[in-house]
Amino acid sequence: MSRLSGWWIRLRHLVSHREEQELDEELAFHLDRLTEEYIASGMHPGEARRRARIEFGGVEQSRQRCRETRPGLWMDRMVQDVRYALRGFRRNPVFTLTVVLTLTLGIGASTAVFSVVDRILFRPLPYAQAEQIVSVGLVQPLEQTEFMLGGFYYDWKDHQRPFVAMAAEAASPQECDLTEPNPQHLACSRIEAGLLPMLGVSPALGRNFLAEEDRPNGPRVALLSYNLWLNRYSGNPAVLNRFINVDGLPTRVVGVLPKNFELPTMHPAEIVLALARDVAAQRKMNPGAPVRAFARLKPGVRVEQAQQELAPLFQQMRTMIPAQFRNEFRLKVRSMRDRQMSEARPAARVLFGAVIAVLLIACANVAGLLMARGVVRHRELAIRSTLGAGRLRLVTQALTETMLLSLAAAAFGLLFGWGLLRAFVALAPAGMPFLEKAQLDLRMVAFSVVVSIVCGVFSGMVPALQRPRMQLLTGTVLTAPSRAVVRQWLVAGQIAMSIMLLTVAFLLLRSFRMLENQRLGMRADNTLTLSVTLGQHDYPTPESERRFFRDLVERLRFGPGVEAVAVSDSLPPAANHNQRRLSSIEIGGRAPLMDQGGIVTFRWVSPEYFHALDIPILKGQGFREDEVSSGEPFVVLSHSLAQLLFPHSDPIGQRIRLDGAESQGTVVRKSDVTSSQSWQTVVGVVADVKNGGLSGEEHPEYYRLRRDRAEDWGGSGVWGRSAVVVVRSSLPAQRLGPWIRSQVTALDPTLPVDIATLRQRVSKLADQPRFQASLVGLFAAMGLVLAVIGLYGVLAFLVAQRGREIGVRMALGASREEILRLVMSRSLRLILCGVVMGLVLALMASRALSHMLFHVGPWDPVSYLATLALLVIVGLLATWLPARSACNVDPAGALRAE
Amino acid sequence: MPPSSDLLQGTLDLLVLKSLALEPMHGWGIAQRIQQVSQNVLQVGQGSLYPALHRLEYKGWIQAEWGESENNRRAKFYSLTKAGRKQLEAELENWERLTSAIALVLKGA
Repeated sequence: MSRLSGWWIRLRHLVSHREEQELDEELAFHLDRLTEEYIASGMHPGEARRRARIEFGGVEQSRQRCRETRPGLWMDRMVQDVRYALRGFRRNPVFTLTVVLTLTLGIGASTAVFSVVDRILFRPLPYAQAEQIVSVGLVQPLEQTEFMLGGFYYDWKDHQRPFVAMAAEAASPQECDLTEPNPQHLACSRIEAGLLPMLGVSPALGRNFLAEEDRPNGPRVALLSYNLWLNRYSGNPAVLNRFINVDGLPTRVVGVLPKNFELPTMHPAEIVLALARDVAAQRKMNPGAPVRAFARLKPGVRVEQAQQELAPLFQQMRTMIPAQFRNEFRLKVRSMRDRQMSEARPAARVLFGAVIAVLLIACANVAGLLMARGVVRHRELAIRSTLGAGRLRLVTQALTETMLLSLAAAAFGLLFGWGLLRAFVALAPAGMPFLEKAQLDLRMVAFSVVVSIVCGVFSGMVPALQRPRMQLLTGTVLTAPSRAVVRQWLVAGQIAMSIMLLTVAFLLLRSFRMLENQRLGMRADNTLTLSVTLGQHDYPTPESERRFFRDLVERLRFGPGVEAVAVSDSLPPAANHNQRRLSSIEIGGRAPLMDQGGIVTFRWVSPEYFHALDIPILKGQGFREDEVSSGEPFVVLSHSLAQLLFPHSDPIGQRIRLDGAESQGTVVRKSDVTSSQSWQTVVGVVADVKNGGLSGEEHPEYYRLRRDRAEDWGGSGVWGRSAVVVVRSSLPAQRLGPWIRSQVTALDPTLPVDIATLRQRVSKLADQPRFQASLVGLFAAMGLVLAVIGLYGVLAFLVAQRGREIGVRMALGASREEILRLVMSRSLRLILCGVVMGLVLALMASRALSHMLFHVGPWDPVSYLATLALLVIVGLLATWLPARSACNVDPAGALRAE
Repeated sequence: MPPSSDLLQGTLDLLVLKSLALEPMHGWGIAQRIQQVSQNVLQVGQGSLYPALHRLEYKGWIQAEWGESENNRRAKFYSLTKAGRKQLEAELENWERLTSAIALVLKGA
């Protein structure tokens, strides 16, 4: 018989019940004939019917067996099970709602988190055969991310063997201005024409750069990001071949990048330009301009092999590096995923782990609920079993129920997860990497369905596998001890999980508080900052930049309540981009500090900088206004730098040289080579300021005065062209902000301005830890609530079950205290078990997390004590209610029920 | 005579198919026929007969049709299909081979 007709039979059966009737008729016919036979043999009709019935045997059984031969049996059964389950749910709406709600919480939260961490932990990178793509380059103490320099990059590109192709992107992110009507400040990046083909990416629209466009003075062309194209050019394909004004230069749009495209460096570029390096000139240069290089491995070549094969090129290149730094450089080849995700990965793991723990707690809760319901339904199951339902049938039925529940929860969970994800994005505008890209798509749907199925099987299997026992039919045995034990273990497990979650949450929270409340070494209140990047087009000369800032400071200084105005090229406590080797500093009359390792940070500031930020001057003095116009270069040292350079003598009046060996062999993003190679005079020493990011190491620092001379201005790149104005005022920020904005607009109406209080800037640096701590805290709270509900459920159930026993005890003279103790001791035992397991889990989890903690040890006693206290209090509360109701059992009533 | 093993079940199928090879019959008739032909040795109860008939029908070896019985009652008549005829031949052959093999073993022992 063909498959098609098999389906037809199933369908026919579903549509009508004719078959059942036919079977009945057929059986009746058989019975009648049997009866007739007996009558024919001379029996009395009544007796004949009786004999025939006896011989015929059970009609119902044979009906059932006929049904079982049907091909569509499983479908019938499923429909039957589903209908049965739905009926049960309707009878028990509170139970159903609780289960679906619990699972919705678990599935929703894990779906939301999964959609965030998916890109970081699991999803393939948006490149063709992304696992073959690697990042190649050198690392050294100043730069831990692989880089290459023009001097050898092109040489390696020609002579390397392990790669199919190599291509480069500009080393650092750029900003550019779209100088058209409705000007916009954008993130830009520059790439080699070979980069997209190497990544296996082709533009969504238009084409990639041509080789002749990737040359100095070639035609200026640009690729737009998908989002820019959509938002600014409303997704109009006519933008192709149009000229747009990038930094005042007409540039032709040749293509639009795919929607999910990301640069290998992950720079959020909205406009991508051709790198257009002068290759011939770069080859001759030492060191040449820095690039980030990426490559595609040849098939079958592993990352380590590639590193080995590059070793000869690296050795050859090392001879270019000045001898004193040579040993600092190492060759590094690593997979693209490592390069992109290594920073985001720990946080993603923590979040994912936390949410999985919540999911487990939710599932355990549901399993507990199902078990409790199972005990109540024991008699029903026993009856069904007696009526001939096989073991398998009962298990299938139970699983069908949990499947229905968890699939419903998956649907709601998806909705909830979507809402939660929106909340994440709103909570952390710039906190978590990849958050912006997180979305609910088919992968998420699949994830939540799989999770719900796993959850359903897990929570349904435990109760389903318990065999109903026949004596339950009699109704004399009400408890099923084995189940109670399993349920108690589940609760202990839940408590353990929530201890782990709570501990991790407390640790992260404390670490975050430490981070935010640490001493910064400067004043962050009542201080507004205004960061400005001057476009190359409008401010082509150092003189024009200088004039802009001079005018701006002039205007701001006499503003309402303004106490101090200062200009700096950067602000602490963010990690500074101006860094150099400590050993490059020469001290008058002494040799350079060759043996000193380490890094020193520097800033270009205006005279009022220390006053505006309230950085105490320890020795000597700060910069004076009149020094701005002097030809003499002055420098102010931080306390720690002064200690390093002049441990035994007074630093004031000493002369140091800051430009020594710096120009060779390093990749500082901005070097102050532009200033004269002259000696500087130390005029003051100021207190240390947190300057390596909130959690980073502090570096010694020096400050240089930005004088009214062209050489102190006009740096290149974003960092060279942007500056921060610091305004300290007695006026509240809400009122001062708009006024400052109006002053800037009066000077240059097209200039994009970013105004924030210094406090906001500092707090922004803590965004990610804050976000992480609050998310894990949220999950810990969810886990705790679920676990406590589980604990309460088990105890309430035990009390209800032992109501008669308690009544008898009371009738025999047990006091309320003894009853209380009976219930409480059970609860305490559960809590204790959970606490012990939980502490072990928490210790393991916090050890794994220790590198993410700031000034808090993984065994921080405060966090552990807080966790334990919270859990014990909440746990006892959950115990109190059932214990009280146990005390209120009416002995007479309980006995009468007997 | 509940079929307690595959052999018995397969045998019942064979008996049913063989009975139907002559003419279409209803369930009662098949049971009677088997009983008579086997001289009352094989008694087929309805408990195993009807499931077997349904199974054979789902397999497409027999087909059912409602008709008039000898005593003018509505009854379900089963008849062999083409596939059923083929199946009968195959099963007969199988049976022969099996019985002769068993006979060989029994004689040889």
